[in-house]
Amino acid sequence: MKQAKTAAVGMPKKKVRPLKALARDWQLWVMIIPAIVYIAIFCYGPMYGLQLAFRDYDFSKGITGGDWAGFKYFIQYFESPMFWPTIRNTFVIAFFSLICGFPIPIILALAINAIKGPAWKRTVQTVVYLPYFISTVVLVAMLQILLSPTTGLVSNALKAIGLIGADANLLGDPWAFVPVYVISGIWQSAGWNSIIFIAALAGVDGQLYDACKVDGANRWQQVWHVELPAILPTIIILLIMNMGGILNVGFEKTFLMQNSLNKGVSEVITTYVYNVGLKSVQFSFGSAVGLFNTVVNFAFLMLANQISKRAANISLM
Amino acid sequence: MKKKSVLAALLACAMLASLATGCNNDSGTASTGGDTASTAGDAGDAGDEGGDTSGEKVHLTALISKHSLTKDVNEMQWLQELEDACNVDVEWQQISADWDQKKPAMFASGQIPDILVCATSDSDYVQYNGLFEDLKPLIEQYAPNLQQFFKDKPEAEALATTMDGQIFGTPKYQSVWPNTNGTMYINQEWLDAVDMEVPTTWDELEQVLIAFKEKDPNGNGQADEIPMDFNGGFNSAYGLNQLLGCTGLQLSSNNPQGYFAEDGQVKNYYVDERFKRVCQFAQKLWSQGLINPEAITQDYSKFQSVARGDGDTALVGFTWGWELGDRFGVNVSDQYISMPQMKENEDTEKICYSYDFYDLNYGGNRYSMSAKCANKEAAMKFIDGFYDEVVSMQVLFGGISDGCIADNGDGTYAVLPPQDPSIDPGTWKWNSSFADNGGMYIRDDLQLTLGTDMQAVNEEKAVYDPLFEDLDPQDIYPALFMKYSADDTNTLAMNQANINNITDQTWSAWVSDSSRDIDAEWDAYVESVMSAGLSQNLEIRQAAFETYLANQG
Amino acid sequence: MSTKVAKVPKANKIHERSASDVSFRIVVGIITIFSFVVVLYPLYFIVIASFSDSTLVNRGEVLFYPKGISLYGYEQIFTRPDIWRGYLNTVIYSFCGTALNLAVTLPAAYTLSRRNFPARGIIMKLFVFTMYFNGGLIPTYMLINEVGLLNNPLIMIIIGAVNVYNLIITRTFFENSIPEDLYEAATLDGCSHFRYFFTIVIPLSKAVTAVIMLYYLVGHWNDFFNALLYLNSDAYQPLQIILRNLLLLNQAMAGSSGAGASAYAQQYADQIKFGVIIVSTLPVLCVYPFIQKYFEKGVMIGAVKG
Repeated sequence: MKQAKTAAVGMPKKKVRPLKALARDWQLWVMIIPAIVYIAIFCYGPMYGLQLAFRDYDFSKGITGGDWAGFKYFIQYFESPMFWPTIRNTFVIAFFSLICGFPIPIILALAINAIKGPAWKRTVQTVVYLPYFISTVVLVAMLQILLSPTTGLVSNALKAIGLIGADANLLGDPWAFVPVYVISGIWQSAGWNSIIFIAALAGVDGQLYDACKVDGANRWQQVWHVELPAILPTIIILLIMNMGGILNVGFEKTFLMQNSLNKGVSEVITTYVYNVGLKSVQFSFGSAVGLFNTVVNFAFLMLANQISKRAANISLM
Repeated sequence: MKKKSVLAALLACAMLASLATGCNNDSGTASTGGDTASTAGDAGDAGDEGGDTSGEKVHLTALISKHSLTKDVNEMQWLQELEDACNVDVEWQQISADWDQKKPAMFASGQIPDILVCATSDSDYVQYNGLFEDLKPLIEQYAPNLQQFFKDKPEAEALATTMDGQIFGTPKYQSVWPNTNGTMYINQEWLDAVDMEVPTTWDELEQVLIAFKEKDPNGNGQADEIPMDFNGGFNSAYGLNQLLGCTGLQLSSNNPQGYFAEDGQVKNYYVDERFKRVCQFAQKLWSQGLINPEAITQDYSKFQSVARGDGDTALVGFTWGWELGDRFGVNVSDQYISMPQMKENEDTEKICYSYDFYDLNYGGNRYSMSAKCANKEAAMKFIDGFYDEVVSMQVLFGGISDGCIADNGDGTYAVLPPQDPSIDPGTWKWNSSFADNGGMYIRDDLQLTLGTDMQAVNEEKAVYDPLFEDLDPQDIYPALFMKYSADDTNTLAMNQANINNITDQTWSAWVSDSSRDIDAEWDAYVESVMSAGLSQNLEIRQAAFETYLANQG
Repeated sequence: MSTKVAKVPKANKIHERSASDVSFRIVVGIITIFSFVVVLYPLYFIVIASFSDSTLVNRGEVLFYPKGISLYGYEQIFTRPDIWRGYLNTVIYSFCGTALNLAVTLPAAYTLSRRNFPARGIIMKLFVFTMYFNGGLIPTYMLINEVGLLNNPLIMIIIGAVNVYNLIITRTFFENSIPEDLYEAATLDGCSHFRYFFTIVIPLSKAVTAVIMLYYLVGHWNDFFNALLYLNSDAYQPLQIILRNLLLLNQAMAGSSGAGASAYAQQYADQIKFGVIIVSTLPVLCVYPFIQKYFEKGVMIGAVKG
C-alpha cells in the first residue's frame, strides 16, 4: 500500500536546467508528440473561429473578416425573453441527469463485480451495456410507444401500482419531462458508463481483500474499505469532467421529445438556438450562445477541479 | 502467446492502414480527375463553337438533397437521357438526410458543386453572398423552357426573384396538386350506426362525437372509439387550426406560424378572438373525453396507426388527413367520407377552408448554380432541360423508359401503377424520381392521366372547391411569394422563436386542462405575445404583403 | 491502506459476518436482476418490433410476442446495394481508427502520468481547454479541406485521433493502478521509458486499454456526423450514413409538409427503424466478449507475478 501514498505525494521536483531535462525526457517527449501535433492542428488550428461570436458573419470576407460586433450577439441572447427559461431548463435537466445518473453506474459496477457465477456475470454485463447503441431516434420512438397514456405498457404499469395518476400523460405533462428524460438517459447509458468502473475494479489487488478478511471485515466493509478507495480516483476524475457538462443537454433527444404541452420545460439552449436559426442561419448568434454555454461549463469544471485538488489531491490538470 | 497475437493484430492494422492510404490516392486522382475533366469539357466546348456537336461531354458536378425514399439518381434512366441530350456528364453527390447540418460548413467553405438541386433557401443567397450565380442573364440567353415558364406563370418568376431582381434558384410548378392540404373526414358507417347526419355546426359535431363515444358505433362491444383525433401542434396541417375556417377566418399557405390576411391586413390568429373560440370549443370537447387524449403528444406514426383501425373495425370517428387510403389504410378507408366545412353556429355568415394551392404547387430554389461553375452555358442548358414539357413530367412522376409513365403516342400520357405491387403510388413516385424535390414546370394543359392516389386526392378535396371560387387576393396570405431583407429575416426569426414559446404552451394547456379559464387569461396572453415580438413581425410582414399586392398590379 | 483496514472492528463474530454477507448477496442479486430485466425488456421489444406490423406496434398491441410478422424491414435494409460496402467501410474505419487512437493515446497518457515530466501541467491545461472550446464547424471544415482530407476516407481514421477524455481516463489509471515502486525498481536497473512502457505499463494496463479501445471502437462505429460532413462520394460512406437515411424515412415525411404531399408505406418505415438498430449493433455485440475478458479479476496480479 506504499505505492498509493507515493503516487499521491508525487515525485519530488528537482530543479533541472531545460536542456538537461530535455535530454533526460526525450523519450517522454517522443511519446506525447503525436498527441500534441494532432491537438495543435485539429483543435487549435480552427480555434480562430471563436471570434465569430464577436463579429457579424460576412461570407465574402470570411470568418475573420466580418465587422466587429462586440458583445452584440451575447446581449441579444441575454435580453431575449427566453434567456432565463432556457438557462433554467437546461440546468435543471443537466443537474438531475448528473445527480441521478452519476452514482448508478458505480453501484451497477460494484454489483456486477460481486456476482459470483461467471456466466451470469457476463450476461448481465453484456445486456446492460447494449442500450447505449440505440440511436436517439429509436429511443424516443420507443418512449412514445411504451409511455403512451392509453396503450403504453410502462405508463399503464405505473398507473396500476398507483405511482402516477390515472389521467397522467408522461409524454405531455410538464412535470414528467425531466424524470422521463433523466430515467431514459440512465437506462441508456448506465451500463456503458459502468464499464470503466468494472475495469478499475478488475485492477484491485486480491491481497487487499485477503487482508480485509483477516481483519474480520464483512462483504459490505470490503466494498467500503477496499473497492471504493480503489476506484475513487476514477470516480473523482469522471465527476469533475461531468461537472463540466452542466449546461450540456443532448439536442436531438430534447428536440424529439418536445411537444406543445411540455415546451415550457423542454426548451433548452440548443433547441432555442435551433429554432432561431430555422429560417435564417444565424452563425454569429449561434456562436455567441455556444461560447457562453462553454464558458459556464468551463467555469464549473475549474471549480470542481479546484475543490477536488484541495480536498482529495486529485485533479485533471 | 498473447504478445504475438497483439503484434499480429497491429501488423494487420498497419496493412489495412496502407490499404486505406491506397484508397486515399485513388480519391486524390479522382478529384483532380474531376478538374481535368472539366477542363476537357471546356475544350469540348471550344469544339462546339466550331460547329461540331459530337465533341466530348461537358463534365459537371451536382448535388441533390433528395428524399430518403429516392433511389440512386444514377439509376434513373430519364435523367441519363436528359444528360445525354444536353451533352453533359454529371457527377452526382446525393444527400438524403441531415443536409441542414452539412450545408453551413460546405457553403461557408465556398467549395460547392456546379449545380445544387433542392439544396438552397432564400436566406442562403444573402448569407453566402457571391457564392451563387445570378441566373437571370443566363436564363435570357440559354433557357427557352424557363422563359416559357416565366411567360406563362409570371408569379413563378416573381417567386424566384430576390428583392434586388436577381434569380439564384429556379422555381417549380406542379399544376395538378389540389387547392388544400388537409381533408376533413368523418366515419359514415358510425354516423349510420348512431343514426345521425353529417354535422354542419360545432354543436352538431359535439352531439355526434358524444354519440360516437357512448353508443359503440363500431359495434365491438368495447368503448375503444376515439371520437376525434388530430395531429401535433395547433398549426400542423391536420391540427385544430382547421376549425378556424368555421369562424370565417381564411387560412392559406399551410398557415405558417398563424399568419393570415384579411382585407389586405396581415394578422395572426394566435391573438385573434376566433382562435380563442376554437380553443374554448376544443377545451369543451377535450373535457368530455371526446378528443384522443394523446392528440397533442403522439408522433405522426401513432397518429396514422390508430386511424388504420383494428382489422375491419374502425377506431376513429372524426379527423383530418391527406387522402383516404393514406390516412386509414386498406381495411377501413371505405367507411369514411370527406366532409364539407362546418359553420361555427347557425348565425355564422362566412365559412372558409385553408387555401394551400400555392404551397402545394409552387416552390422556389430548385436548381442553383455555383458562381465558380466553369461552364455556365452547359450548366444552364442542363437546368433548363428539366423544364421541358415531357422531362418535367418525368421529374415529378418517374421516367417513361423507367416504366413509370406510359407515352400513349398521341400526345397523352398516363402515370403507371407501381412496378412493385407492395408499394403504394405515392411511395413509388418518391422512390423513382426527384418527385416534389425536383424542379419542373407541369403545363396546365398537359394531357396526363394521374395515378389512382392523386385522382382520389383531387376527388376527395373537390368538396371544398366552392369555398375557393371567389377568393380575394387581399384575403390570401402568400407566404411563399413574400420577400424580406436580410435584417428583417433575422428579426422575424428571433421574434418568432420567442412567440412560439408562448403560443405553443398556451393553446395546448388551454385545450387539455379544463380548469383553465381562457376568457380570463386572454388579455394577458395577447399582451405577452404582442410584446414578445409579434407586433414587430406583423409590421414587417405587412410591408412585404403590400409590396406583393402592388407587384400583382 | 493498512491504516484504513485497521478501522474495521476486529471483534466481528463469524455469524454476524455471514449474516451481512447474505444481505450483501441479496442486494447484489436484486440490483443485477432488476437492471437485467429493466434493460432486457425494451431490447426484446426492439427485436419483436423489427418484424411485426408497425401499425400494431404503434398502437401498443405488440408487447410480448410479435404480431403480423413480416420481414419487409430487413428485406429493405439488406437489399440496399450500398449496405455491404457500408459495412466494409465501417469495419476498415473502426479498425484502423482504433489502432491509431491507441497508438497515440497510450504513450501520451504515459508521459502525462509521469509526475516529474516538466511540461505536464501546461500540456494538460492546453488539452483540457480543447474539450470545451473549439473553433466551430466551419473553420474545422475549412482546415480539413486545406489539408486535403475532404472526401478522403483517411479523415475517418484520423479525425479524433486522440480524445482528451479517454486520455485523462488512461492517465488516471496509469497514475493510480501501477505501483510507483515498479518504476523506481526499473529505473534502478537502468530501464528506459520506452522499455518500461512496453514491458511493464502495457501488460499491466490491459483492463483500461480494453476500455478505451472499446470507447474508441464504438465511437468510430457510430460515427455518422464526420462522415456526413467530410465524405461526399457514395463509395466512402460508412454503414451509419446509410442506416441513418433509412432511420429518418418516417421523420422526413412527418416533419415537412411532405406528410401531406404524398402517401407512403408507413407501416414498413417503422419496421425499418427498429431493424436498423439490430443490423448496426450486432457486430459490436460480437466484439464485446473479447474485450470483456480483460475485465476479469486477477489480470493485473497475474501480470505482476509473471
